[in-house]
Amino acid sequence: MSAVPLPLDNTLEAPGTRAPLVLGTSDLASITEQVCEIAERPRPSREWLLAFGISASVTAVLFAMVGYLVWHGIGVWGVNQPVAWGFAIINFVFWVGIGHAGTLISAILFLFRQKWRTSINRFAEAMTIFAVICAGLFPAIHVGRPWFEYWLAPLPNQMQMWPNFRSPLLWDVFAVSTYFTVSLMFWYMGMVPDLATLRDRATSKIRQIAYGIASLGWRGSGRHWHRYERAYLLLAALATPLVLSVHSVVSFDFAVSQLPGWHATIFPPYFVAGAIFSGFAMVLTLLLPVRRIFKLESLITPRHLDNMAKIILATGSMVGYSYIIEFFVAWYSGNPYEGFTFLNRALGPYAWSYWIMFTCNAIIPQLLWFKRFRQSPWLLLVISIFVNIGMWFERFVIVVTSLSRDFLPSSWGYYMPTWVDALTFLGSFGLFFTLFLLFLRYLPIVAMAEVKSVIPAAGLELGPHHGHGQYWGEIPHQHDEQEGR
Amino acid sequence: MKNDDGPGRFVFPAWTNLIRPLLAVILVTVPAYLVVLVWLGGSPKTTDVGYRPEQPVPFSHAVHAGQLGMDCRYCHTTVEKAAFAAVPPTQTCMNCHKQVRSTSPRLLAVRESYASGLPIPWVKVHDLPDYTYFNHSAHVRAGVACASCHGRIDTMEVVQQVQPLSMGWCLDCHRNPDPHLRPPELVTAMDWVAPGDPAELGRRLRETAGINPSVDCWTCHR
Amino acid sequence: MNARVRLAAGVTHSNAGGSRVGRRYWRSLEELADSPAFRTMVEQEFPGLAEELEAPATAATRRSFLKVMAASLALAGLTSCRWPKERIMPFAYRPEGYVPGVPQIFATALELGGAALGVLVKSVDGRPIKVEGNPLHPASLGAASPWAQAAVLELYDPERSTTLVRREGGQRRVPTWDDFVAFAAEQATALRQRGGRGFAVLAEATSSPTVAMLRHALLGMLPAARWVEYEPVSRDAERAGLAQVYGTSLRALLHLDQARVIVAMDSDVLYGHPEALRHAREWGAARRGDGGAMPRLYAAEALLSLTGSASDHRLALPAGRIGALLLQLAAEAARAGVLLPAGLGTVSPFTAGTPEADFAVRAAGDLAQVRERGLVVVGPGQPAEVHAVAAALNEALGSRGTTVTYTIAPDPERRPHLEAVAELSASLADGTTEALWILGGNPAWDAPAELEFAQRLAACPQTVHLSLYENETSRLCRWHLPRAHALESWGDARAWDGTLSVVQPLIEPLYGGRSPAEVLAALVGEPALSAYDLTRRTFASQWGGGEDAWRRALSDGIVANTAYATVTPRLLGDAAGEAGGRLAVRPASGRELILYPDAKVFDGRFANSGWLQELPDPITTLTWDNAATLAPEDAQELRVKHGEVVRITHGGRSVEAPACVVPGQARGVVGLALGYGREAGGSVAAGAGVDAYPVRTAATAYLASGVEVQRTGRRRLLATTQEHHVIDTLGMAERGRRVGSLIREASLNEFQRHPEFAKNATWSQARPLWQEIELKGEHQWAMAIDLSACIGCGACTIACQAENNIPVVGRKQVARGREMHWIRVDRYFAGDPSDPQVRFQPMPCQHCENAPCESVCPVAATVHSEEGLNQMVYNRCVGTRYCSNNCPYKVRRFNFFNNFTKVAATTRMAFNPEVTVRGRGVMEKCTFCIQRIEAGKTAAKNERRPLRDGEIVPACAQTCPTRAIVFGDLKDPSSEVSRLHRHPRSYGILEEIDTKPRTLYLAKLTNPHGAAGEGEASS
Repeated sequence: MSAVPLPLDNTLEAPGTRAPLVLGTSDLASITEQVCEIAERPRPSREWLLAFGISASVTAVLFAMVGYLVWHGIGVWGVNQPVAWGFAIINFVFWVGIGHAGTLISAILFLFRQKWRTSINRFAEAMTIFAVICAGLFPAIHVGRPWFEYWLAPLPNQMQMWPNFRSPLLWDVFAVSTYFTVSLMFWYMGMVPDLATLRDRATSKIRQIAYGIASLGWRGSGRHWHRYERAYLLLAALATPLVLSVHSVVSFDFAVSQLPGWHATIFPPYFVAGAIFSGFAMVLTLLLPVRRIFKLESLITPRHLDNMAKIILATGSMVGYSYIIEFFVAWYSGNPYEGFTFLNRALGPYAWSYWIMFTCNAIIPQLLWFKRFRQSPWLLLVISIFVNIGMWFERFVIVVTSLSRDFLPSSWGYYMPTWVDALTFLGSFGLFFTLFLLFLRYLPIVAMAEVKSVIPAAGLELGPHHGHGQYWGEIPHQHDEQEGR
Repeated sequence: MKNDDGPGRFVFPAWTNLIRPLLAVILVTVPAYLVVLVWLGGSPKTTDVGYRPEQPVPFSHAVHAGQLGMDCRYCHTTVEKAAFAAVPPTQTCMNCHKQVRSTSPRLLAVRESYASGLPIPWVKVHDLPDYTYFNHSAHVRAGVACASCHGRIDTMEVVQQVQPLSMGWCLDCHRNPDPHLRPPELVTAMDWVAPGDPAELGRRLRETAGINPSVDCWTCHR
Repeated sequence: MNARVRLAAGVTHSNAGGSRVGRRYWRSLEELADSPAFRTMVEQEFPGLAEELEAPATAATRRSFLKVMAASLALAGLTSCRWPKERIMPFAYRPEGYVPGVPQIFATALELGGAALGVLVKSVDGRPIKVEGNPLHPASLGAASPWAQAAVLELYDPERSTTLVRREGGQRRVPTWDDFVAFAAEQATALRQRGGRGFAVLAEATSSPTVAMLRHALLGMLPAARWVEYEPVSRDAERAGLAQVYGTSLRALLHLDQARVIVAMDSDVLYGHPEALRHAREWGAARRGDGGAMPRLYAAEALLSLTGSASDHRLALPAGRIGALLLQLAAEAARAGVLLPAGLGTVSPFTAGTPEADFAVRAAGDLAQVRERGLVVVGPGQPAEVHAVAAALNEALGSRGTTVTYTIAPDPERRPHLEAVAELSASLADGTTEALWILGGNPAWDAPAELEFAQRLAACPQTVHLSLYENETSRLCRWHLPRAHALESWGDARAWDGTLSVVQPLIEPLYGGRSPAEVLAALVGEPALSAYDLTRRTFASQWGGGEDAWRRALSDGIVANTAYATVTPRLLGDAAGEAGGRLAVRPASGRELILYPDAKVFDGRFANSGWLQELPDPITTLTWDNAATLAPEDAQELRVKHGEVVRITHGGRSVEAPACVVPGQARGVVGLALGYGREAGGSVAAGAGVDAYPVRTAATAYLASGVEVQRTGRRRLLATTQEHHVIDTLGMAERGRRVGSLIREASLNEFQRHPEFAKNATWSQARPLWQEIELKGEHQWAMAIDLSACIGCGACTIACQAENNIPVVGRKQVARGREMHWIRVDRYFAGDPSDPQVRFQPMPCQHCENAPCESVCPVAATVHSEEGLNQMVYNRCVGTRYCSNNCPYKVRRFNFFNNFTKVAATTRMAFNPEVTVRGRGVMEKCTFCIQRIEAGKTAAKNERRPLRDGEIVPACAQTCPTRAIVFGDLKDPSSEVSRLHRHPRSYGILEEIDTKPRTLYLAKLTNPHGAAGEGEASS
């Protein structure tokens, strides 16, 4: 098999030859080895334990805060009249946004036959699941009487009362829960073959049984693969519209109201772009260290980073464009309330938050026009972190500045978060990283089966009749060969 | 398909094949069971109907309203002018019981109250939530019979709740009052039956008296 | 009326001591409220209830409180598998005319500073829960002041003194009333021997004939005894001023309805006056521009008052210059042809062209034009001379008899309060007074500082203090006696104009208090007589009232034709001229400090009322605090920021208070409200504001010139309900731009030329894109608020709070922006910042037909009724707060905490049982008083009759002194509200977003001098 020597910059587009998606001397076996080895280490590294200890205790803080909140009431937060929504909703939108990259990568890129996704999709999907879990937490705790949340569900009852189907909050419940379910299935489905590999390599009885049950008796027969790919394709088709719908619906929470600064028709596309933007940024933020620590450079190549950077650049520019067009629309509409809202964002008491947002989201990503920034993992990491910060502040700006000064000057107010707000937000990161560390420890963090399909060893470059997108049928044999060895 | 179970390979044992049908059954029956449980067990029909607390005085409506045929309003005087159909003061009892059964041990509590001026602690039977404001006078004047909500009190030795008094139950009547209306002067008649079709009679009464029960929230909740 | 007649019968029955039933009943409640066992029981019970609140079954109501109370009594918190068993506790003997759960209304009167306000008190199941004005009473005309409304809360205040206290040698014993009666008897005998020498009674001002009779008896018994009357805030200067020019002490009655031109000199006739409610009514009626005429109001004042805010021309002038301005006015009047007494109208302190001079020219011109329809009125803080000159000016205009009338002042021989208390203090110091009985009041705290009254009082061997609270004074007295609240004792009182009211109790004394009359009776040897006996005796002896007259008095709340006789005094020849001469025309000497009675806690006596503490100050919107108000220019000059604590020093005395910048205040003036910073004021008053009395001497009771103001660098967070933070220029500018469309106004002439000026004053008109739903209800409720009439007093806010069980959240929550008032009074400054106009706008829920809040609630907890009401259903609310975000008027209020867990059991008795007490985590808002609507509808239906217009009145409208708020049915084209909605001045705010508010505002009309044809405008 033709091995491509490291290092090689596979981000160059040499005409004629297709740049390889995987580098190094990785053949089918070595990939299995490389990925499984991470999950098979007998005991976690000291770093992992440290990280896990920290994130677990931060999670504990989160639950403490939630308990405190439910015991005393929403008043322990900074929300008030007129700013009745604060950190909770900001964090919700923030996390949901992050929850977009995963399914986008796995579903949309899959349908678009973007092979390079294979090395990162598992990872991104995992992140999606965890982000949506964090997101789901906030709407659940932000209501005044959480014990009555079931009233949002259309259950028949002796009161003969139904929920109000006109309310975007209700749409949210359905949109987010659907998205979560589908993403979860998609993620798990994709993982079954790899779980089977782990099972097969497992030495301890517990791992055998655990992975055995998890892999649902996968044997990699042709029929298995056939069904698997059908289902995968269908799920991808199912997930794709959700990627777009979820954040559109989330944006309706604002767009459907009549509040200046919320009531805007561009919100759905603007939110979706922002979501993808923040999602990819978060993927990078997590991917870069992992890639380094677990030595996955050969699977997650500069080309992957390059592509993701480009997507960030593209969506970042869309977001920046939205920022500017909002001002134009506010001015062009002639609506004085709208006009003031945006002036107030840029120059009012919350101007600082607006300019943090603008710098992080609209200006800094523009650096990615330069190849050097797309190349260097370190610079990418810094930029992606900035984007994360910026995207959180975007939601802060939208929620708080619009509410703090609406129609009647007499009811203008100022919102100040409390320590409970802050700790709850911090805690949500604790939960996110706890789950993520568990994922790193026990599950295959790269979709081996899929990566194998794009390495040279898969023989995809042989023969004229082969080409991207036509190799599905072949993998079972490869797989069986593996077993055969 | 070749079946080479390597050393590490875990294979579902044969008996696990049972699990699939079992799972199917469980997935169907358990939710169904839970629904039924909540539906029936949780409904006011189960929790409230038949509530029949012990009263401090063994007062028998069956005797007073039934055998003696006393009108409800002899004791519950305020039912036509106020929201509450007030439980009568001890005075009212003693109007008769000064003479009748004036030494009966069962009336001890009443005589004590009469002497001390302290109230008799009756136990509330028909107990609406505190955010629900029910007005007796409005219903009685409109021709909704006592029996419609309280049942055949005249047959009860000990008063008990016979209707769920749930929101849905209220709404049913507010949406379609006709079958429950009767001439206002007959509201206290326990054994009254509508001549002919009650709905038809009700419709005429509703139209003549201009009764149009509201289903707005604030009719009952404030 | 007949309702009240019946009730009067009811009350005589249950309170006149006749029926052992009523007594029995109240005793039991009283014992309840008192016994510590009960207290603890409730404390234990309520957490339980609190949880229950959250449960779908309950948001607790007063009813549930009573039930829980009953339940816990009966079965000590035992709960069945169902939910807590609830008990029904019927009377053993039901009082005649009483229907359980049906409110009864009793007429009585509340006294403040010696002037009675007639009120109607609503009582449910024997618990007074709401104070309304008495339409028959001349000082009320159906309105009630915030102070009167808060009386209920005061009645149930658990911190009122509950026992007698005897202090001896550092010991604190708790004697009984019998002990006190015995003590009184022996003191009386001891005093009789020396004819009362060394004995003094210090009483707060009261108009009670009964007290007067007892006083007479006392002084008859003890000729050498001294009776001293003291009020920290009094109108003695006016009295003295009138005495100067008329030779006798008189009391002035103003008739604004007669006036065409009013010149208010540092005088807040619309709020800070015993008859303010009547003035406001007359003002509100006259300012609607009906018939093309409207009075014009000139106001010159140092601080920004409600009267100044309502004025057409306002001159910000240091209080020390008011006298000069008055002389200028006199001079201009003379120039305009008004014939003044000798010696007046000769000096013109202000050079022509100055704002003061222009003001005087305009005002004098108008006065001269309308003559007897003109009125010059001076504030109580101004020296006697100013009042004297003003009286002379009115006389010269011929106003006496039209816009102002005089009666002989009650108790004409009385010494002025400040002098009287000074003499008393001196006599305490030199030991000539060794026995002092203090009936009400709190002199140890509020007597002029230089008297050191507290120390002298502490030194006095025999002191007795009768008081509602065990306050600063009680602590220094040998005896403290709990006073019976006005709502729990018999008595009588006279209005400012003399009209007599009988004060009848609505409940037996919760804490066994007694009235001043009873205490005096004990001293003059009639301890057996109850307040009821004493009152009836007075009534019989002075008004020859038999049973019928008595019952009528109880039923009406007034005794007809008992007002003081109007007198026609003659002006003493040159007294006015001399007064004018004495009126030292000095330039403002240094910075002024003005100490004024607070709009909420008055002189401090209401400091323990949560309702009043949380009521925003009309001008500063400040709650829970007083502050040193400064003009913006002064703040700049002193480099003082809003909220920075400054030290104000005068004559070696100083006070530290946070600064509050108020546009429109006169330069060189610092204002500081009295009544805050109580030491022994109770837990509510504790920590609220700073005590201004330490800098208040007899000489500087109102005004201190030449004060020092230094920065301290410290800051205090001021809890205001508007501008929660200091507003930036961007926001300021935008606010300025918006006020015009929120509060639309025009001068009377503009209005006559363009009656429709208020319509379409928005940047765009909304056109619905969809089929509008039409509502099928048999009524369509709506409200109209006339901004021409509203004076921004905030009475509506308190009325709403009392009616709807609105919680008090405390200063920290208000500072966070979590006040709960359902109707707020928005205050805007318009025009030139250096000389701003103040505009008020009451803001309840607008009950939009296209309510934005409704579409966004996920659980349909807020929906529209067929009768056009925007319904908020607490028990369905889960608390997403989305509705509040989507409400363009931000009138929705959220329970961020459970605001009732800390409310004491006794205070819960003030809850309105017809309104759910909201639990934690639910949204609430104005309901147009749905409980009253439903009650009215049910009553009409039961009586088989249509509703009458005006039969249903929400609390805010009922109490509004100016009748600015009108509520009614749009389906009835002849209803008042329909008429107003059709009125050319009517407009809805934010129409452009098509919310279709059911609350329309009537644009404000002004009547400034100089608008084209102004001459006619005023006549």
